[in-house]
Formats: sequence, C-alpha cells, structure tokens
Amino acid sequence: MTNKSNNGFNTWQKSFEKETKKNFSDAKSETDEGIDIKPVYTRDDLENFSFVENNSLPGQWPYTRGPKASMYTNRPWTIRQYAGFSTAEESNEFYKKNLESGQKGLSVAFDLPTHRGYDSDDDLVMGDVGKAGVAIDTVEDMKILFNNIPLDQMSVSMTMNGAVLPVLASFIVAGEEQGVDKSLLSGTIQNDILKEFMVRNTYIYPPEPSMKIVADIIEFTSKEMPKFNSISISGYHMQEAGADNVLELAYTLADGMEYVRAAMSKGLDVDDFAPRLSFFFAIGTDFFMEIAKLRAARTLWAKIMKNFGAKNERSLILRTHCQTSGVSLTEKDPYNNIIRTSYEALSAILGGTQSLHTNSFDEAIALPTDESARIARNTQLILQNETGVTKTVDPLAGSYFVENLTEELSKKAWDIITEIEELGGMTKAVKAGIPKLKIEESATKKQAKVDSGSRVVVGVNKYKNPKEPSVDVRVIDNNRVRDDQIKKIQAIKKSRDTKAVEKALTNLTNAAKDETNLLIPCIEAIKLRATVGEVSKALEQVYGRHFAKSLSVSGVYGKHFEGDEEFMKVESKIKEFENLNGRRPRVLVVKMGQDGHDRGAKIVATSFADMGFDVDMGPLFQSPKDVAKDAIENDVHAIGVSTLAAGHKTLVPELMKGLKEIDPKSKIIVFVGGIIPEQDYEFLYENNVSAIFGPGSNIIESAEKVIDLISDNLSKE
Amino acid sequence: MELVDKIIKGERAAIAKAITLVESSKDTDQQISRELISELIKKPGKSIRVGFSGPPGVGKSTFIESFGSYLVSQNYKLGILAIDPSSQITGGSILGDKTRMVEISKNPNTFIRSTPSRGTLGGISMGTREASIILDAAGYDFIFIETVGVGQSEIVASNLVDIFTLIVGPGSGDELQGIKKGITEYADIFIVNKNDGELKMEASKTAADYKSALSYYKKLDALEKQVLLVSAIEQTGMEDVIKTINQIIDQNKLKGIFDERRADQLEYWIEEEVKNIIASDITKRLTSKGNIPKYSEKVMKNEMSMYEAVETITKDTLKQ
Ligand code: B12
Ligand SMILES: Nc1nc2c(ncn2[C@@H]2O[C@H](COP(=O)(O)OP(=O)(O)OP(=O)(O)O)[C@@H](O)[C@H]2O)c(=O)[nH]1
Ligand SMILES: [Mg+2]
Repeated sequence: MTNKSNNGFNTWQKSFEKETKKNFSDAKSETDEGIDIKPVYTRDDLENFSFVENNSLPGQWPYTRGPKASMYTNRPWTIRQYAGFSTAEESNEFYKKNLESGQKGLSVAFDLPTHRGYDSDDDLVMGDVGKAGVAIDTVEDMKILFNNIPLDQMSVSMTMNGAVLPVLASFIVAGEEQGVDKSLLSGTIQNDILKEFMVRNTYIYPPEPSMKIVADIIEFTSKEMPKFNSISISGYHMQEAGADNVLELAYTLADGMEYVRAAMSKGLDVDDFAPRLSFFFAIGTDFFMEIAKLRAARTLWAKIMKNFGAKNERSLILRTHCQTSGVSLTEKDPYNNIIRTSYEALSAILGGTQSLHTNSFDEAIALPTDESARIARNTQLILQNETGVTKTVDPLAGSYFVENLTEELSKKAWDIITEIEELGGMTKAVKAGIPKLKIEESATKKQAKVDSGSRVVVGVNKYKNPKEPSVDVRVIDNNRVRDDQIKKIQAIKKSRDTKAVEKALTNLTNAAKDETNLLIPCIEAIKLRATVGEVSKALEQVYGRHFAKSLSVSGVYGKHFEGDEEFMKVESKIKEFENLNGRRPRVLVVKMGQDGHDRGAKIVATSFADMGFDVDMGPLFQSPKDVAKDAIENDVHAIGVSTLAAGHKTLVPELMKGLKEIDPKSKIIVFVGGIIPEQDYEFLYENNVSAIFGPGSNIIESAEKVIDLISDNLSKE
Repeated sequence: MELVDKIIKGERAAIAKAITLVESSKDTDQQISRELISELIKKPGKSIRVGFSGPPGVGKSTFIESFGSYLVSQNYKLGILAIDPSSQITGGSILGDKTRMVEISKNPNTFIRSTPSRGTLGGISMGTREASIILDAAGYDFIFIETVGVGQSEIVASNLVDIFTLIVGPGSGDELQGIKKGITEYADIFIVNKNDGELKMEASKTAADYKSALSYYKKLDALEKQVLLVSAIEQTGMEDVIKTINQIIDQNKLKGIFDERRADQLEYWIEEEVKNIIASDITKRLTSKGNIPKYSEKVMKNEMSMYEAVETITKDTLKQ
C-alpha cells in the first residue's frame, strides 16, 4: 500500500495546509539546481528509481553507500589540509607543525607563478611570488619542502595542473634523492586540465597538447607508481566558481570520461589505470544536497565505468577528497565561518568522503594564520573524536528525502552528461566555452539572490554585526620571498652542468614533437637542475601558450531586478550621465598578474552592463602597463581592478605609474575590488585608489558609488 | 587647436579623447569634433583603411590578432576600430574584443579602440568615419575596421575603407545562394577562416565554392575577386593576405580606382549626412506642428482618406 492512498497522509496534508495556509502542491521550494524540495517525503518517494537501488550495501554495486564496506568504522577519513605559502623552508615548518597536531596527509598549495610555469625571477610574476602558495623553482625547493618528512610514509597531494610535468618530476626526483623509489610514493597529483580551462585558469598550453600531457602522466604512474593517484578529477573549483551541484556533478563526471578515453587512446586497458583515478568535490551550505551529491557521484561513476568495459571492481568505485566551500565564507563577521565550515564538514562526512579539508575562518581575508588553521583542523578532530559520526556507515541511507534527492540529482546530471557526449565530449564543449558560460550564469544568479536579499547570508545582508571584530592576518612579504628565490635560482644555475641542462631541454622540446611520454625527459632535465620555468618554456616552444577568449553572459543579473527601485535608481543615474556627457559611463574591469580568480570580475562586469555601464573586459594575466594602454586608448572613465591573490600592493601602484607614463594628466580613476585585508586600505588610498569593494559588496550599491565617483571626478575638470 | 598637434604627434591620450569627441552625442562635443576634423583633413596621413566584416563568431577578432601581429612584426603601425556588436537594446555593453587581441594590444605600435554599436545600421557606429580620419592623421599605416556583417551593413562598412574584406567560415558556401551582386561589388577579398584541424576539408571546399560563384560576377576593369584560405588560430595564410592587399592597392592606385573610390565614398557620406540632417529637421517640424495626430484623427473619423492626409501633411511640412 502506498502512503498517498492511505488515510494518514491525507490527514497530515490537511494539518499541513491548515498550519501553513498554503496548498500542499504549492509548498515547494526550488533549489539552485532547479529541484523542487517538498515539505515532506514518504515511502512513495523511494519508487521508480532508475539510478539508486534501494537495497544496496556499502562497498557494493552501485556504491551509492560508500566505496568500502566498513567506511569510518574501520578508519576515519583522512584530515588533509591544503596549505602552502612563501618559501619551501617556511611551508615545510608549517607542515611539520600540522602533522604533529593531528593532521594525517599533506596537500601542497603552489604559488601562481609555479602553477603557470614561470620561475620566480620572471618579470611577469613580480607581484605573485610566494603570495598564494609556495614557490617551487627547482628540485632543490621540492627537497626542502619535504625535509624530514619521509615520502615513503606520508601521502602527499599536490594541486598542480598547468606545470604538472616539471612539478611531478621534481617530486619524483626529490623522493629519489631522499632514498625513496618512485614505486613507493603515495598521494595524488591533481592533473585535471579541463577544469582549468573552465574555471581555475592555471593552464599553460592549449587544450589538445594539455590533454596529451594528462594522458602521459596517467600512463607513467599506472606503470611506475602503483600507490599514486594519477589524477584528481575536480568539481570543487566549479562550485567555487559558481556552479550549482548538478553542473558540478555532471561536468566533473564528463571530464572523467574524457580522461578515461585519453588514457585508453594510449593503448592502456581501462582496468590498468581506472583504480587510481580519484575525485574532488566542494561541499557547500546546502546540507542535504551535498550529501546526495556524493552518493549520486558514486552511483553514476559506477555506471559510467561499467559502460567503458571495466572488469576490476576497483575501477567502478569513485573515491573522493572534499573541501568545504570557501565561497560560502564571508569577510564580514568572520567567526560565523567556523560554524558554516562545521556544518559543511558534517555534510561531507555523511556523504562518505575519503578525505577532507576544512577552511579557516579568515578565508575571505587572507591565507590562514597558524591559529585559524588550528581551529579548522580541530573542526575535523572534534567530528572524529566527539560526535560519534564514525560509528555507523552511511547513516542516512533509507531516508526518504536523501534517497530521493540522490536519485533526482543523478537524473539531472545524467541528462547533462548525455548532452555533452552527444556534442562530442568535454574537450569540445570546453573549447567552445559552453560549460564556463553556464557556470558564470549560475554564479550571476546566485549573486543576484544575495544582492536582492532573497538569499540570506548571516552577517552580510542580514543580522549584521554592529561591531566587526578585527582579526590577525598572515602577511607575506613577496619581495623578500622573491629575492630569496632568485638567489637560490642563481646559485643553482652557477653550480649545475649548463651544457647537460641545455641538452636535456632540447631533448624535451624534441620529444614534444612526437608521441614520447614527456614525463621521462622531464625527469632527466629536472635531475640536472633545470628549473620549472625552463622546462615549461621548452614545451611552450612546440605547443605555444594558451590565451582564453572570454564570453560573457548578459541580462541574467538585470532580469532578477526587474522593477527593483535601487536598480532603477542606478539606471536612471546612468541615463542622466549619458545625457550630460554624450556617452555612457565606461569602466574597464581588469585582472592583473597571475591571479586567475575571475568569478567576481565577470559578475561585476555583466551586472554593471545590465545597469547601463559600457564595460570593457580585459583578458586574464594582464600587466599593469598593458592595462594602462587599454584604458587610455578606450578613454574609459574608470578602471576597476579585481584582485584576489594578494598582488594588489605591487600591481596597483604599477598601474598608477603606467597611466601617468602614457598620460601625465590622466583623469582615469581607479577602484579596487576583491580580497583586500583591512590593513591594506590605507596603503591603497595613499596610492590614489578612489574606492575599495571587499567580499560581500552589494553590486548595485557598488555601481551607484562608482557612477557618483565618476561624475564627481568629471565635474572637477 | 592644441588637440590637433597632439594627434599629429601621435599622443595616445589625445587620439583617444578625440575619438570620444567624434562619438559623443553631445551637441557641444559634435561642434568641437567638426572643427577638429576640418583641421585634421588638411594634414592627411598615408593610411590604408581595411574593413573586416563577417558573421558573428567567424573569427574576425582572432584574425585581426593574428594578421595584426604579423603586420606589427613588419614594423607597420596599426590602428584598430572594433565595432562591438554585443550591445543590448537597453543597458550597456560588454566590450570583450581585447580578450581576443591579447598580443597586439600590448604592442606599442597599435592603437585599439572598441565601440559599442548600439544597434545602429550595419553596426557602424556614429563617428567611425571620423575616428579613422583621426588615426590617419596620427600616422597609422593601416586602419582596420571590424564590423559584424549582417544585411545592409556591408554597404555602409565598405564605404569607409579602401579595401573591404569579408571573412567567412568553413561551410558557409551554402549561403552563396544568398550572395547577390551587391556583396561581390563591395568586397574585394574573401577570406575563408578556420582552415585548420578537422575543418580543413570543409574550408577548402568553401573556398572553391566561393571562387566558382564569384567567377560569374567578374567586373570589367576591377581586379578579380580574391578568395584566400587562412587559419587565424594557427596563423597560416597571413602572407597571402598582405600580399593580396598590397597588390590590390597598387593596382587600384595605378588605375586611378583608389582615388575614384575615395571620391565616391565622399559622395556617399555627403549624401548620407545631408539626408540625415534633412530627416532630423523634418522630424522636428513634424512633431512641432502636430499634424500627424490631427490628421490621423480625421482619417479615423472617415473625414479624409489616408492618402489625402499624407499629401496634406507633406505639403504643410515642406512649406517654408
Ligand atoms: C572562488 C575561489 C576560488 C576559485 C576561483 C574560481 C574563479 N574562476 O574565480 C578556485 C577554486 C578556482 C580558486 C583557486 C585558487 N584560490 Co581561491 N578563492 C576563492 C574564494 C573562496 C572566493 C572568491 C570568489 O569568487 N568570491 C565570489 C565573488 C563574487 O566575490 P569577489 O571576487 O570577492 O567579488 C566581490 C567583491 O570583492 C567586489 N569586487 C571584486 N572585484 C571587483 C571589481 C569591481 C570593478 C568592483 C566594483 C567590485 C569588485 O564585488 C564582488 C561582489 O560582491 C576566495 C575566498 C573568499 N571567500 O573570498 C579564495 C581565495 C581568493 N583563493 C585563494 C587562493 C590562494 C587560491 C589559489 C591560488 C590556491 C592555490 N595555491 O592553488 C587557487 C588558484 C586560482 C588562480 N588561478 O588564481 C586565496 C587568496 C589568498 C590571499 N589573497 O592572500 C583566497 C582568499 C582563499 C584563502 N584565504 O586562502 N579560488
Ligand atoms: N578552428 C578555428 N577557430 C577559430 C579561428 N579563428 C577564430 N576561431 C574561433 O572562433 C570563435 C570566434 O572568434 P572571434 O574572433 O571572437 O570571432 P568574431 O568574428 O570577432 O566574433 P564577434 O566579434 O563576436 O562577431 C572563437 O571561439 C575562436 O577561437 C580559426 O582560425 N580556427
Ligand atoms: Mg569580434
């Protein structure tokens, strides 16, 4: 007997309607994914499933309930905190302290120059060395990074995609010189290039050669490094860039399929490498949705791998790392972030993750301090030791709601995956820019919801703290780090066998022209002390450097504000401006240096255009000098610098200088948005920055301020 | 005028300000820009103006990045006017051309200006012609004008340039049926872009289709229309493009077509401008006299026919 036909349900429905004064059928709430959440779920909602199997068990097909039979009852998840900053020496100290305090695995964050294949002494990266991760120029740095950390015992995860060849090679050589054979190294290399083109933006070469490099690494590790995960197929960055959970899930699995095909095209059997594929998801604030996502991911991947003809059970099983969402954390009232992160962590655990990173409460301000990192780590230690969540495997199995949500998510994701497959796979979709645009659209909608107040963010658009606490921040002196790195590079270049290095680099360039596995000549070059930058350039000679062309969504933000008073006020100010000045206010939105965080810049650009600004969108990775030229040639009224990777103190003064160099009388005003610790405001104002818009800024309010500032500035003439 | 000297000296900020003036809808700005242009045309430079038109997404900007890089590497100075089609009817525009012209925009020998088209006819914005006069006076060897090719726009765009190029994509041969006499008259060069990777076969086929279609429309003394194959992404075919451009320019100069064309264009713009002024004058008069609502009411009441009303209004409006 089904529930709906039974009397009990009818009675419940009547009571519900009486209490809420709403029809039951109207009492749904729609999620970002477009899923209708009902106020109650019943046994009926467990029926007609095509993905989820109701009576499955953990560690068994379709693995919805977890990759292992015993899960945390046998061994809890791995606490793996992502960290890295400044020099290898300082990061090494930080790692050792963390390991002593209960952290179990390492996860290395490299700085942006390393990610993009530039040495610390390259002019292009002046503002970025050691700022947002640790600077690694040669294998000597890598050896220092793992000083007194035995690589045959410690599992090491490395977030590296663009410069994956020289960095993995350095890791292998560092192990070797520590006396550890590569076959004993355990850990993960991210090596997921497709999502770089979509959202993370630390690519170097164009998509095709990049995919070849991914396949080379899968091939090499599957043969030589049996304990090492060859790739971490990442949806995390998509959600952080604004994707809803369906997009994150679908694109990640579709990426995975593309990597499987790439590896198979090298002649590998699917079971040779599939067991060493791993995944990485974000865990945001939508508590049950996130749990369902992990369960759905495992369910779908098993099906996908079966279709690929996998025979080994381990090939069917999706293992994942998770990180709580950084973008859900706020600059305002930052201690709230501890609470948000705790719930997100619980969600990840109930979803059955294999390892977890929890963010620090100062996420929206700067890299974590020792203190904030300790609280983040303790969030997991408390979950493991005090709450009892490890005692039962997949405790939410059988929940009408969670099972139904798992099925719904699976269905929606599967539809998108099918669509992409019909298009010819993810590489093609990525080249056409479709997934990126979809993610930006989703991000813009989320921003509109927060700015309009229809989504509450505690401490930001409601329940604001009248007395904002001031918090300590980690300060990194990038000039000092850069000088240190340059000295090290110079010393190495002096002592190495230059001829041999040159020959190794030429070999590498030649290897890129045919089908040779590139990791092998890379290891040779790195052994001889070639730098990360030199190795990257040797390949660039053949492959070229990739420049992304950027598409923009339009009308998405404005649509949300139809009839909104504040929005219309800005619109009419702009019309007034146009009548007075003969053109619309024109703003150049830019990203400078190696900072690839483009979510904010893109959202601000599209929203400003919706309100009536003419917005020039600069490409990524511009130098301040190029920005100045652009701004002056287009005679913009203002430049909006979006900066999140802490390069602002170097790059903004350079921009001011650049403007004056071209036009000593330049009247272009500059404002700055993004991650700016309060401590830096004065410095920026002293450098003639007109306004600063930090995380959580309401875009309509920001736009009004910008148009006012531009008008003021013009009236001064 | 101080601005004139600065433009002639090639000062970037002055050129930019001048373009703002000629694009401005403000009366006082237009007054100044008229004076400015009268001064500048007395000091003409030697620029060759090349138009690049084509359907959205065919690779115009990418091509200009590629071809432009080639030209600046040969030490040419290059001015680019990109008319950005992305403007919305309401709201402003997102001008993203520069994300597709990363390399050349860094080069000191380029000047790149994007302008939102604001839905004007053919995507040519107010002031594009004047902007090219400014860049000419400032000493740019080539001036590129990028416009989206839709419907009538080619005619307008082609009247701005010495050489008009249509960029098309592989597979566009099917649209050849739609290519009437018009376009073959206006375009000098047809560039089939995206001649790379999987698209190569298709691109060659398209080029062949164009060649055979164009052979029907051979004009008497003009040079044969050229069809070129390029890949903007792989930077192939660029030498052919410059060679063809130079060839056509040389030929046209030799035969006097070059100046003839400029003279024809001048006539075109004078006519357009006169029409514009008359039209806006007439519109003003129409509204101020209030004849339209008055007579339309009469027509509604069957007091007169629509044709009688039109005739009466026209006479009254044109009466001095
Ligand atoms: C999302 C995110 C990512 C995404 C980026 C996706 C994308 N395509 O943008 C991913 C996951 C890929 C990512 C990666 C990295 N990240 Co990150 N990331 C964030 C995060 C969590 C949120 C940023 C965001 O998008 N917020 C949402 C947008 C809408 O807000 P916003 O950009 O702040 O913009 C608002 C305002 O600032 C303002 N504004 C911003 N720009 C402008 C411009 C104008 C003109 C105006 C008017 C206003 C304005 O208005 C906007 C609306 O309110 C921040 C932490 C945080 N909570 O802020 C870290 C953070 C920026 N990341 C950080 C780091 C270190 C990295 C990495 C370098 C890590 C590494 N070593 O590998 C990588 C590399 C990325 C790269 N290529 O540069 C650090 C930077 C440290 C620092 N500044 O000292 C941060 C601060 C986290 C931390 N505390 O460690 N990241
Ligand atoms: N395969 C291939 N793709 C190209 C080539 N040139 C451009 N493209 C791609 O075509 C798309 C559009 O390129 P754009 O240069 O922006 O085209 P456009 O004609 O300027 O577009 P609009 O200004 O929007 O009308 C981009 O995805 C380019 O990467 C080429 O030579 N080969
Ligand atoms: Mg274009």
